[in-house]
This record gives sequence, C-alpha cells and structure tokens, in this order.
Amino acid sequence: MKKEILSIKDLSFEYDKDKEIFSKINLEMLEGEILGILGPSGIGKSSLLRLITGLERPKSGEISFKGEVLSGNNIFIPAYKRGIGLVLQEKVLFPHLNSLDNVKFGIKGTNKEKEDQALYFLRLLKADKFSNIFPNSLSGGEQQRVAIARALAPKPDLVLLDEPFSSLDQNLRGELRTDTRELFKKTNTSCIIVTHELEEAKSFCDKIVQLKEGNFIEM
Amino acid sequence: MVLLDNLSNLFWRLIPLLFLTIFLLPIIFVLLSLFGNFNENWDHLINYVLPTYVLNSIILVLGVSAISLVLGVGTAWLVTNYKFFCQSWLEWAIILPLAIPPYILAYTFTGLFDSYGSANLIIKSIFSLSNDYVFFPNVRNLYGAITVFAFTLYPYIYLTTRMAFLNQSRSLMEAGKILGLDNKSLFTRLAVPLVRPAIVAGLALVIMETLSDFGAVEHFAIQTFTTGIFRTWFGLYDLNTALQLSSILLIFVAFFIVIERRERTKMSYSYAASTFKKTKQVQLKGINNFFAFSFCFFPLFIGFILPVIELTNWAIFFPSENLFSKKLLQSFFNTIWLGIFVGIICTVFAMVITFLKRFDKGRLLRSASLSLSLGYALPGLVLAVGIIQFFSFLDNVFLVNFLEISLVGSIVGLILAYVIKAYALADNAVESGFERINTKVDDVALSLKKSKFEIFFRIHTPLMKTSIITSLLLVISEIIKELPATLILRPFNFDTLAVITYIYAAEERMYEAASPAMMIVLIGLIPILFLSRIIRDSRPGN
Repeated sequence: MKKEILSIKDLSFEYDKDKEIFSKINLEMLEGEILGILGPSGIGKSSLLRLITGLERPKSGEISFKGEVLSGNNIFIPAYKRGIGLVLQEKVLFPHLNSLDNVKFGIKGTNKEKEDQALYFLRLLKADKFSNIFPNSLSGGEQQRVAIARALAPKPDLVLLDEPFSSLDQNLRGELRTDTRELFKKTNTSCIIVTHELEEAKSFCDKIVQLKEGNFIEM
Repeated sequence: MVLLDNLSNLFWRLIPLLFLTIFLLPIIFVLLSLFGNFNENWDHLINYVLPTYVLNSIILVLGVSAISLVLGVGTAWLVTNYKFFCQSWLEWAIILPLAIPPYILAYTFTGLFDSYGSANLIIKSIFSLSNDYVFFPNVRNLYGAITVFAFTLYPYIYLTTRMAFLNQSRSLMEAGKILGLDNKSLFTRLAVPLVRPAIVAGLALVIMETLSDFGAVEHFAIQTFTTGIFRTWFGLYDLNTALQLSSILLIFVAFFIVIERRERTKMSYSYAASTFKKTKQVQLKGINNFFAFSFCFFPLFIGFILPVIELTNWAIFFPSENLFSKKLLQSFFNTIWLGIFVGIICTVFAMVITFLKRFDKGRLLRSASLSLSLGYALPGLVLAVGIIQFFSFLDNVFLVNFLEISLVGSIVGLILAYVIKAYALADNAVESGFERINTKVDDVALSLKKSKFEIFFRIHTPLMKTSIITSLLLVISEIIKELPATLILRPFNFDTLAVITYIYAAEERMYEAASPAMMIVLIGLIPILFLSRIIRDSRPGN
C-alpha cells in the first residue's frame, strides 16, 4: 500500500487582500504518483505549486509533506529547507554556469560525488553531451532537459512541473515527455504537473484532477 | 557630380580618423619614451623609490578594492531586495559621494581628524580632555588614503551592480531557494556570481581612478606612480624619465581598461537567458531594518554628508577674505567657461561621430569611436605629460619657426586634455539620445529627398535637446574636478577652482580652500542629481 506524500487541507491564497486566488481547496497524493492538474489560465495552478514549494505563504489552511507540516498552524518552512523540486515553463537555468554546474548546484557532497550524480541525471535525460555547454548555446528543449535533471539531481521526493513542455515544438515535446515520465518512474519520484492540455496530462500522468471553481475534480 | 559625392564621402570618413589621430598622438608620445634611453635617474628610482611606488600602489588598489566592493555590492543588494527605513531615499542618495573628488575628501579628512581637527576638538570639549589628547588615529597615511578613495569611489560599483541586480530575474533567485540556498548562500553563491561582470566593470573604474589620482595621495604624502611622475619631472627635472614612468602607469591602466570593456560586454548575460520577473522587495523589521539603514547610510555619511558639513562650516563660520575675492571669482569664471567650451566641443564631436555611425556600419568607424571613448580612463597626469611632449615636438619642428607661435604653455593643451578625458561622457549621452530616434525616421526623410546634413540639423538635433544638455552637464562636472592635468597644462597665472583648492590645501590653508571646494561640489552635484533621478525611475516595470 502506497503512503501519502502530500496533503493539502482547506488551503486559501490571495495575492492582495481583495484578490483571492482560491479558497479552501483540498488535495492528497501518494508516493511515486504522477498527478496532473488541469485548468484554465489564472485559476491558481501555478500559485498552488509556489505554495507547495514555499515561495508563497498561504492565507490559511495546511500543507503537509511526508507527514510533516510545511505551512499552517503558525508554521512556515522556507523554500530552501523543503527539498521539493520545481521546473518552470520559462528557462531559469543559471546563465553563468554550464549544464553540468547547473545540475551540480543543488547536490550535497564532495565535488566528485556531485559530479557523478549530476552526470548520471544528465545521462538519464540524454543531456550529458552538452554538459560543458552554457545555457545561452542550448536550444529550448536542451535547456528544459537540463532544468529537469537539475530538479531531480538532489533526489527530492516530490518534483513540481509548471507547464514544462509548453514552449517546445510538438515532436520535441512528445519525446521529452516520454523521457521525463520514464525517469520519474525509474527513480520513484512523485510529481505534480500543471498543464492546460488534456492530451499531455493523459500521456504523462497516473491521475488527473481539474481545478474548477475552487475544488479539485478527479477526471 | 560623382567626384563631388566621393570627395564628400571621403571627407566624412576622414573626420573621425582625424579626431582619433589627435587623441592618440599624446599617448604615442608617452609610449615612445620606452624606446629611448633610460638615463642614470633610473638607478636612483629603482634603488630607492620605484619599489615603494609599486608597493604603495598595490596596497592602495587592494585596500580600496576590498572596501569599495563591500560598500558598493552590499548597498546595491540591500536597496534592491529589501525595504527598510529611508530605503527609497538611500537608493539614489548613495551615489552622492561621486560629487566629491577624492582630493577634497582628503582635505576635509585632515581638517577633521588631525590632532587639532574639528572632530578631535569636539571629542576633547565633550569629555574635557587635555589639549594634547588625540582621539582619532592619524589619517595622513596609506590607510587614510584607502578610506578616502573607497568612500568616494564605491558608487561606481554600486551603480553597475545595482542595475545588474535590478535586471536579475526573480525566477533565478527562486530556483536557487528551491535548490536549497538560504538568504546568505543566495547572495554569495548565486546573486553575486551572476552579476560578476557588472561588479568587475565597476571595480575596474574604481582601480583606474585610484591609480590616476594625484591630489589625494599628494596631500597624504604617499609615494605612488602619479606623485613619482610629478616629482621626477619637477624635482629631478627629468621629463624623459617621467614619460617612461607614465608609460608603465599607462600599461597598468590599459590592463584595467581591457578588463572593464570585456566585462561590460558580458553584463547582459545575467538576465539574457531568463524571462524577466521583477524582484519582490522584502520588508525588514527590527534590528535588520536598523542594520540595513546603517550599512547604507554610513558610506553616504562619510563620503558626502561629513565633508559637506565640514566645508560648509569652514566656508560660513570661518569666512576668510577670499570668499568673494577677485581670485576666487576669476577661478570660478575660468572653470565655467572652460567647462562650457569643452562641453560644446565634446558634444559636437560626439554628435558628428554618432551621426556618421548611424549611416556607416563599417568597423573602422566603430573602432575609432570606441578608441575615442577610452580617453576617460587615461590618468590626467599621463595625458598632460604626453600633450607637453607632443606640443614640444610641434613647436620645435615648425610652429615656432614658421608661424612664430608656441602651443606649450597655451590654453590649447588644457582644452585638448579635457576633451580627451571627457569625450566618453558626451559620447554616452549623445549615443543614448540617438538610440531613441527610430532609424525609420531617417529613411522617411531620405525618401523625401532630404540630405544627411538636413536630417542632422532639422530632425536629429531638435529631438536630442535633452541628450545635448545632459552631455554638457556631464562634461562640465568632469572638467571642474580635474586636477593633475590642469595643474601642469594651465597657462601661467591661469587658475581654476580645482587648482586654487589644491594650492590652498597644499599650504594647509583649509578654511580658504573651503569656498572653491564647495563650489566644485555644488556644480558636481548637478549631474549627480540628474543621474539620481534616472536611478529613481529605473526599476524595471516602473
């Protein structure tokens, strides 16, 4: 029986006092699961990911990860202590570091251990051939492969993907989707992917929910 | 008709090359000295003073670099990423020390901290201490000079670094947080390495200014390359060795020019690869709020508020007979007319060359323009030595014999030195003005059968009024502060504000030096306040 990895209870969020994004939403996900969240733009999908990673503070409610409360009840664990990976649609590789150093960035250990681990993940994502190349010389797809490797390399239990394939062309998108799903399954890493494309969610996820009028509806 | 067109094209192409030749000749004359004889004075220099020049210059550069880096980068990081007491005011006020030339801060430092200086007197009267008690350490040494340079020059690093921090996308910092960086590591492991080119570009400017200074090191009696050149020339009466020393200094400075230029071209990489998201400022509270305010206010206090208070104190409460004296007014008039005249020359040069670059994308013109704008980095003293040598050559070869005139000792040398030093400021202002005019405007004008000449006068010039005024102000503020070249190249009995400030300070007549020094600061403030306004509005998204 798989254990629960993430639990969200009555979570509410607003950017400004009069601009509520969502109110009292609930969600649970299991270890090793790939969960897709669908919904139109502006409904708060990306905000939810930012709340889970600790980049934003919720208005109320609770987020627990592996049984530990991350935010709620006057507790707030900052992003750098949570150990949850995030990959965004936009390219956020560190421009002053090459691909290998980007992937090494979040890994702990000796330099040799960091390098071995980074190369391992670059290989899994078929990105090891450009390990010495800087981001500005990589294509969009190559950059995204490195970004996914960087998110996975510290071996987080949960990785959040915010429309990671949407800026890529169709062929590349399919290929990278397949490679990424394989990698998540191989490393038994849980994943939440936010997308507005049903087909993408179907081919990538184990379970799909739709955020509609402040509630998750399983599809 | 075709011949006329070709001749006209040739003329316009030759203009920047002619400017460049005039700019380069003084430097060539300095460097040529390296191929001449090294006379017996070199034995004296090598055995007794050169190692001291080199060592002092190195310690000075290292000390100034370390303090300026901490002040420049630290303040830039705090005002960009946090909200704290007076943050929006400090954001632009931090650059005010740029209005104080290092030599004026040096004069006020000695006036404040010498054993009978104002600061020591205040301490003695508050605590009823004996007359011979000295509370503050002696500032007339290398450490005092390091403090003076660091607190007047750190805004160069602040300006380049703050702009880079502002342009840093929030997404990159968030990626760092998610990968496990706390606030301290985020600063040291990510934010600073990302803006490294901007920091290095600012630091190179600080180092070049430190190496070029003459007034402050001379006042503190520190032996560096610039004081060495001056003493070799006017103490040993050996122009050739002074030229050779200048060449060595020039090579050092050239090294930093190359670094500065190279890093500036990389400055865009910190934000080029990511989609920009505006930095979200965090409100600081309690002790952190106080710390951030103190850290940003301290350099402003030492580098600007303190010298202005002391100069005002001297100028108002110890009014000396020269406050409205003929000498001071004459110096003020000389400085202003020189500033305006050089400002006009630089602005016209910059407009012509930038205009030509707009239509001619050739490498030659671009290289010439870039070389011309490197003059700002040349130490005034080296420039003066080169101009004297160049003019002596012209005088000896034909001017004296054929035209019965002499350029050495005339105002022409001073104007040439100022133009070379200040051209880059005019070039920057004018180029940014031209960039704001869409090139399609030129295409439409050409299609209406307007000549380039008409486009320049009837379209570009009226549209560039703000840039032209900015250029003039920037050049005037640079000219007014310039000391070493002015000291050497000024015609007999021709004083500027910087020169009389220097002469009074050299004679320890600080109260008399206060009025011209205050005038320099006040005039220098005009472009700084202008720049501050730009800084206030420069947050992306505002």
